[in-house]
Amino acid sequence: MTSGESVHFEFETHLLDNGLQVILQPDQGAPLVTTHVMYHVGSKDERRGRTGFAHLFEHLLFQGSEHVPREGHFKYIQDAGGTLNGTTWFDRTNYFETLPANELDLALWLESDRMGYFKPGITQEKLDNQREVVKNERRQSYENRPYGLAFETVLRNAYPEGHPYRHPTIGYMEDIDAASLEDVHEFFDLHYGPNNATLVLVGDVEPATALERVKRWFGDIPSRPVPERIVVPSPLGRGETREVLPDRVQVPRVYLMFHSPSFNDPGFEATDVLTFLLADGNSSRLRKALVYERQIAAEVSAFTWPTEKVGMVFAVATARPGVDADALEAAMREVLDELRDGGATDEELEGARNRARRSLVNQLAAFGDRADSLAHAAVLRGNPSYVNESFTLYEELDRPAVEAVAATVLLPERLTAIHVVPAAASGGGGAG
Amino acid sequence: MSPAAVDRTIRPPAGPSRPLVLPDFTRLPDAGDLPVSFAPRPGVPEVSLRLVLEAGASQEPAGRAGLAALAARLLTEGTADRDAQSMARWVDRLGVGFDASAGYAVTVVSLDALTDVFEDALEFLATVVRYPSFPETEVARVRGERLDEIERQRDEPAIVANHALIAELYAHGLYGRPVGGTKDTVATLDARAVRAFHARHYRPDRAFALVCGDIGADRVAAGMAARFGDWSGEAPAPAVPGAPEETCRRVILLDRPDSAQAEIRVGTVGVPYGTGDHHAIVLANAVLGGLFNSRINMNLREDKGWTYGARSSFRFRRGPGPFVVRTAVETGVLAPAFEEILGEIERMRSEYVSDAELELARHALTLSLPLQFETAGQITSKVSRQRIYGLPGNYWESFRARLEAVGPEEVREVCRRYLPADRLVLLAVADAEAAAARVAALGDVQIRPVA
Repeated sequence: MTSGESVHFEFETHLLDNGLQVILQPDQGAPLVTTHVMYHVGSKDERRGRTGFAHLFEHLLFQGSEHVPREGHFKYIQDAGGTLNGTTWFDRTNYFETLPANELDLALWLESDRMGYFKPGITQEKLDNQREVVKNERRQSYENRPYGLAFETVLRNAYPEGHPYRHPTIGYMEDIDAASLEDVHEFFDLHYGPNNATLVLVGDVEPATALERVKRWFGDIPSRPVPERIVVPSPLGRGETREVLPDRVQVPRVYLMFHSPSFNDPGFEATDVLTFLLADGNSSRLRKALVYERQIAAEVSAFTWPTEKVGMVFAVATARPGVDADALEAAMREVLDELRDGGATDEELEGARNRARRSLVNQLAAFGDRADSLAHAAVLRGNPSYVNESFTLYEELDRPAVEAVAATVLLPERLTAIHVVPAAASGGGGAG
Repeated sequence: MSPAAVDRTIRPPAGPSRPLVLPDFTRLPDAGDLPVSFAPRPGVPEVSLRLVLEAGASQEPAGRAGLAALAARLLTEGTADRDAQSMARWVDRLGVGFDASAGYAVTVVSLDALTDVFEDALEFLATVVRYPSFPETEVARVRGERLDEIERQRDEPAIVANHALIAELYAHGLYGRPVGGTKDTVATLDARAVRAFHARHYRPDRAFALVCGDIGADRVAAGMAARFGDWSGEAPAPAVPGAPEETCRRVILLDRPDSAQAEIRVGTVGVPYGTGDHHAIVLANAVLGGLFNSRINMNLREDKGWTYGARSSFRFRRGPGPFVVRTAVETGVLAPAFEEILGEIERMRSEYVSDAELELARHALTLSLPLQFETAGQITSKVSRQRIYGLPGNYWESFRARLEAVGPEEVREVCRRYLPADRLVLLAVADAEAAAARVAALGDVQIRPVA
């Protein structure tokens, strides 16, 4: 079965005089507009001793600015019937709201005040309040959650001391505590200029009018020197790394991470399809072998992170009771080795491609998700058209392309293995 | 390019608003005994289908909690001619999203497919809904996975707290246990029970199907007729749980030593869908804890910095679902956090909410409707809820007018009626040694291990 469906979105890109990149994608399918601003700064750009700062900073941008009162973002957007959020990641920070289309000016006001007039609104009291919120976020989402510290343990093992990708976006408690108001000002000056940002509008807007309004709200914000992009050393060459992490859990979970093509590298799409082939669907390699046949895993998953400078592909499996982490890893490795050495069948590749393709379409259905995809393509790849091109790229992936990635990525020297094990069994203390 | 300056000092005025257009479902010819409705949603080439069956946990025989969920999970695990892996290869090759899951009231089978494979996807869906064979080996495997999952849930403070609270509120009633059942009941389930449940409840006459997406009505009608045209049979009438005995105020600590946080729940038995004061309850909850800008979150998060977030909700169901406040805080502020939550509830009961708060809540709930009906998947989910719970056909069309008719008196009245302080259960999953003395003033404290 070959597929027919793909999608193509017409959009415009503009560069304002101050360096702000603007992407406009009109769609009259719903009376809504998403406004998405992505800044090209993330946790990998944090300086030493300030892990978690990019994320804490993101919280502060919801605390008002010169013309927007504290909690104004939430209040105004909810009052207009919209949704809003912000997220921080290794490579970028984004702020976005979807509103009824007649409220475009509201979004542009809030986002431009953030970008141009943030500093007068920030105070020590707001910083201290959001510091506590973020520390509680770390407790709730990581420390008090089973397996919650696994990913940061992967990073700590996969990258050498000082590497930009070595620490998690949430950061470490002592660094969150150390953040000062001077840090806030400095970070804003360095990273939040219009020429380090991309604004995406998706929805029921007329492009010429929308552009005119964007210019009104953002045009007077001066550009600033953009910091030199930090150098990200290759993580390869360190050999296999591993750690056993005792946690308050009843069964072990094994995290296998291989250094892989980044979002910018050739081979990213093939790596992505590989993860569908490995663990998406009951006939996928890992599920079939570990869940159905050997019945040693309760759950398996595989995914790749679309990171800018280094790539990471994960396979994760949770043990059934009585199965130890070593046995589970051995079984996972057997499946991965078999794929690496023996290749894939046309049938499973076709299915994996179809599942990946549906997932691409899915990510483009809602305006908010589509704006997110456009922004990532623009900021991390420098090419918003990737959103349209990706369908062809996935469609054209043939067996040799996917097998080549499997053969070069699924190698022991690229592996970081973390075994999260019941604390009692390991003799260690809990993570809480 | 130097356009006229903008006025940053005020919130910019909104442009002319557009009339609310909600998806318009058309009844297609029944497929056999199955009613089918369709609404177009052009745009991306995908189709969403929801098939809703009167096969929820409320239909389970006594002592068989989890049977509905297990049956739903096993639909894809084999037919008379195909084993589980053969079924998996079929659906995985199509690349469609398929899910079947049971709730208290119904089981929802959902399909999300690219338009080009709609008929093939439908063939798969009809096969698993109508002809599953529930092989012994797969039933045993999936039951084992369920039992493991129940064990693993003991590691998650949030899930422990949720389950403990509903057990407190509903004791042995339907809503007192998770849909998926408990260790003891799941262990009793076998292939015979699953087959009998399927034979009895996967019947079309009380079921319905909704289809929405980038596809034509004719194609949907033809596809459904081809696969369900000969499907007939009657399902038993739904069973609606009544109200449990009234709860009384108590404090429960589930001991999880050295926890990094205390996972908090404050709850009581709420109300079903369809009460006369439904819209006042919706509005009251939005002011109290339904939104980011609600009182509880503004107090605990934005003012105190004690939590990453705090929310409240009334779970409307066919019977009276729970009212729950949920948050997680540092153990050191457990008692004051409880006090603040109780204080906010009390304030709803003793004072009128301000017009500004009411207006914000009304706007947030109504102006967001286009956003809640944006994608095909959202549309089929929301409209199926409307039908499952017997809401009027114009529920969403009249939503705004109904909310506008609610004033501060009625908001106070529903809080007085449904949130009496002496019936609130206060529960935390926390380090009991660190927490016990602090919460003693709040009521009779019971300390238990995490079950």
